[in-house]
Amino acid sequence: MKKLLAIVLCLALMLPVIALAEGDGRVHITYSFWGDQTEFESVQKVLDEYNQMQDKVFVEPMQIPNEQYTETLVNYAIADQLPDCGMVNENSVLFFARNGVMADVSDMYAGEELQPMDCITFKDDGTPVGYSSCNEILIMYYNKDMFDAAGEPYPSADKPYTWDEFVEVAKRLTFDEAGKHPGEDGFNPEKIVQYGAFVNNWTWQMEVWALSNGGAWFSDDGKQCLINSPEAIESIQKVADLALVEHVAPLNVIPEDNGVGVGIGSKTVAMTTDGTWRLGTDFPNLDINYGIAPLPMMKENVTLCTSGLTGVFKGKHQQEAYDFVKWYTREESNWESLVLTGIWLPKSEYYYKTEEGISKWLGNEKYPYNKDMETGKKVLVEYTMNNAKPACWYYTPNTQITTNEILFTALQSVWSGERTAEDVINEIYPDLCEAILID
Amino acid sequence: MTALPKRHMIRYNRGETRAAWICLLPSVIGLVCITYIPMIASFTLSLFNWNGLGEMKYIGLDNYIRLFTRDTKFYGSLLTTLEYACLSVIGSIIYSMIIAMLLNRKVPARGFFRAVFYLPYVLPVLAVYLGWKWLFDYNHGLFNYLIKLNGGTSVKFLDSSTMVTPSLALIAVWLSGNLIVIFLAGLQNVPRTYHEAAEIDGANAWHRFWKITIPCMTPIIFYNLLMSLVTNLQVITPALSLTQGGPGTGSYFMCYMLYTQAFKSHKYGYGSAIAVILFLIIAVFTGILFATSKGWIFYEGDEKE
Repeated sequence: MKKLLAIVLCLALMLPVIALAEGDGRVHITYSFWGDQTEFESVQKVLDEYNQMQDKVFVEPMQIPNEQYTETLVNYAIADQLPDCGMVNENSVLFFARNGVMADVSDMYAGEELQPMDCITFKDDGTPVGYSSCNEILIMYYNKDMFDAAGEPYPSADKPYTWDEFVEVAKRLTFDEAGKHPGEDGFNPEKIVQYGAFVNNWTWQMEVWALSNGGAWFSDDGKQCLINSPEAIESIQKVADLALVEHVAPLNVIPEDNGVGVGIGSKTVAMTTDGTWRLGTDFPNLDINYGIAPLPMMKENVTLCTSGLTGVFKGKHQQEAYDFVKWYTREESNWESLVLTGIWLPKSEYYYKTEEGISKWLGNEKYPYNKDMETGKKVLVEYTMNNAKPACWYYTPNTQITTNEILFTALQSVWSGERTAEDVINEIYPDLCEAILID
Repeated sequence: MTALPKRHMIRYNRGETRAAWICLLPSVIGLVCITYIPMIASFTLSLFNWNGLGEMKYIGLDNYIRLFTRDTKFYGSLLTTLEYACLSVIGSIIYSMIIAMLLNRKVPARGFFRAVFYLPYVLPVLAVYLGWKWLFDYNHGLFNYLIKLNGGTSVKFLDSSTMVTPSLALIAVWLSGNLIVIFLAGLQNVPRTYHEAAEIDGANAWHRFWKITIPCMTPIIFYNLLMSLVTNLQVITPALSLTQGGPGTGSYFMCYMLYTQAFKSHKYGYGSAIAVILFLIIAVFTGILFATSKGWIFYEGDEKE
């Protein structure tokens, strides 16, 4: 009797496996992604749509925690168990591509009406290896109420602050317990109650300041490290000095990937820089009357564009995965869940270059920043078209080592004021040069 | 007459041996598969250059040579790890000994206090670190708020390369509830008769502590010291959850270095070399502890004078 029960139980346990293996005549492929439960649900919705609209392929989601995403994919690759397609972190796209794990997708948009922007095309030695699923740029957010309270005019949407103007405005928006501003007699930097500015110092975002100051981190072909140029070094020091010297920004030694959370999200900072995805991920949950503006400029008016990629991995279902990814990364497939919520900026030129395309998303009443379409057009559309440069991981190999590991740890000593940017950069420069050359 | 019991004995032994083997097998398989094979694999891997996806290249001892001669962060990482281990081991042994002695007395609500001091150990560790992050925060943290309230200047608890290790060690001390419980169990085993005899001979509390409590507790102290040392040399969680290795190499613990090198930078060989070095360091320290233990540990049943 007991034996019978055991056998029945074992069979019951195997039922789900049998159900999965049951031949529904469709090719099952997996799509891996990171994100929380909300994202899981929205991804599942899109997958359901794809699974219903055709009967040849069935896409299953594979959720991997964000923190361990890339290392998990590498482990799967070692075990020859990679999903058929999936999100790939920006800093690892070239790593996967150069190691022959990703399928060639360079012809994905050939002959298509909607062409992805060049800015978000990953290139290995000049050859396209993949396209970001969307576009994101760095912009400045500000709290309108704090500006009103200080009697300060809002930042312009088409004429960015120069760095000096930015610091001056930030000083006027910073005050201590006694209401004194930095530079005034009796100002006590120990007792600041409101800061004027916060520049997100998450490592990869710092590249924009090197470009803004007329320098660069890496050469355009991704083969040379230029971060030791005086312009690049000065740009890092200038950002650090906002907190250390000017006392207009909170000290942020251990950068977090959330300028909004550290900055105006806490309502103690009036202006902050961060990526456009915050329009969808953070601001809808914050009770703030906010505005958007281009980044302040040191010498050049420039911003960075970047976004992760949905990659097709080599394998026996490569073609099915290719077709799915092509469908999945169209703006239309994620229109409600990602574009209209403000999390994605569109990736196709059509949505930036034609009035019709622009009004489809920016003019939609569901879009989070639809109250002021003129500003939206200048800061999100024109700024992308005219001033955005690709972040270094679009063309420089091994940014998972250079920006994520070496620079991240080293720059913390600069943010804390223990060492100067020049000192730190000169020390790590040989390591950086060596790292970008690793195969 | 004699043959029968002997055979019986052997059979009995055989059965027992077999049972022992069967019972031991799962843990032996576990140890071999999860510990020893990966250890050997890790050592082998440390002689290669491998990014996980590409070809493995044999490079001999290059990873080790690089680690000791060219890595700008290795010595910083080593010193940080040793400093952290030293501070948190000594700190948590003294702290938990004191708390255990207090809890061993007839204080009111003793059970409640025992629970209170053990509680940090059972809390989810990530939540604990996030809580401490808020306490230590430079801009809005509670500690700095109190310091500023009393007219002091803000302290960079986690934001300076010199302060970050002691600050993190403080959290480790606070978390050492498990040591308290073990000490407490040990204290309850110190025979009352010794204390009573010493009291009659006129020894004061201080003398009794040094001459009776501490000697009787040495095996427990040794156990706690060893466990605490091994755990703290392998520290990684505070760096992962709070400080991400910095500032400088202030919290760039060896385990964290190993993790970032191997899994974030995809340098598996290099990470393995760090793992081997860390293993040797732990082995050396454990060896020193065992070698010196004979001199200072007192076992009640010991025949030695």
